[in-house]
Amino acid sequence: MTVLQRLGGAAALALTVAPLGAAAHPSPKVVLVKHADFIRQTTAGAQQYFVRTVTIGKQDLAAIRQSTNYTPDDPDVQFFLGQGGGGKTVGVALFQQINTPHGPLEIGLTFGPDGAVASAVVTTATVETKPWVLEATGTGLMKHFVGMRQGDDTRKALQGVEGQLSGMPQYMAELIATAVGRGLVLYGTLYKESTS
Amino acid sequence: MGLYSLRHTNRSVKLGAILFLLVLGYAYLFAFLMVKTWSGLTPAKVQATYVPAPGMDEMHMATQSHSTTQTLDLGQMPEMQHTVDTNTLIQDSHIHIMIYSIVAALLTLIILGLEWPAWWRDTVIVVAFGTGALDFAGQWLMNFGLGGFAWLTIVSGWGMSLVYLIVLYSTVRAVLPGRSPRSVS
Repeated sequence: MTVLQRLGGAAALALTVAPLGAAAHPSPKVVLVKHADFIRQTTAGAQQYFVRTVTIGKQDLAAIRQSTNYTPDDPDVQFFLGQGGGGKTVGVALFQQINTPHGPLEIGLTFGPDGAVASAVVTTATVETKPWVLEATGTGLMKHFVGMRQGDDTRKALQGVEGQLSGMPQYMAELIATAVGRGLVLYGTLYKESTS
Repeated sequence: MGLYSLRHTNRSVKLGAILFLLVLGYAYLFAFLMVKTWSGLTPAKVQATYVPAPGMDEMHMATQSHSTTQTLDLGQMPEMQHTVDTNTLIQDSHIHIMIYSIVAALLTLIILGLEWPAWWRDTVIVVAFGTGALDFAGQWLMNFGLGGFAWLTIVSGWGMSLVYLIVLYSTVRAVLPGRSPRSVS
């Protein structure tokens, strides 16, 4: 057997393990911060954690639509609660996704006991959007969302980084602000301290 | 007969054909790893990637929201399922279908020189182009909620790989010295 024959045989053998390699190429997401890490890091003092799944009813859906021109894709919205000693809630996290032509972005929001944003972080981007997202968040954009609550205009956060961004990073910043706004509305409309 | 004979052609053409196929195989290995990481290799995982979650069913929606609360172990918290929505699929389709057609066309150029019987040559050319189109047909059908078509995307992937292996094997045989040409129709 010649060297060329052996090379060809080896290549063919190696490629038989990759029969699906040519199928279904998804645009890969990039996890910037894992959900568990975000919840743990932004609910300081929490000793136990809970997940509350709220299934949206007609009244709340109408309220969400009235507050923001947005209809959630999923009727079930999950809130992640961190509770400290005595069962007191120290923080409530939710993950708000927004779709772009370049793949989805996801923003983690944690609300403090006063109902205002205590932490906002981009938790997921895509291979394509990651550099634009990092450029946008590198301006300190996310800290401008801290303290906001339902009814606040999240686009004001963009004024805090005015002149520092252009092109796709600016577009990412606008999408992030939109996602945060939707998260504020979902939290303000759906989250109740006690379950119903 | 074919348009040319790879066996009797210039050495540089043979070299180009072999290197194209080897580098294409190299790319396929990474494509395999990408699919394995971001989509999965079983019909259930492919469905979970491409079939949209059930949307709002306002007809059957309760008037009031209701909630359930469960304890959460952060150490056991599953990572989010990677999903491909319509906008992402449009983006994937516009680039991948074009690349698939270019790869199929380049494979066709090699196939034309392999001195295969006409029926076999035409069959492999059709499969080379068809599997790329069917791969995304399967993805779009899943996007429309028809999860059973995961098999179409998976089988198309197998088909593309099979075409590649057949062309690679035949090309290596054709460029090896000392083999007599086969008769062609």
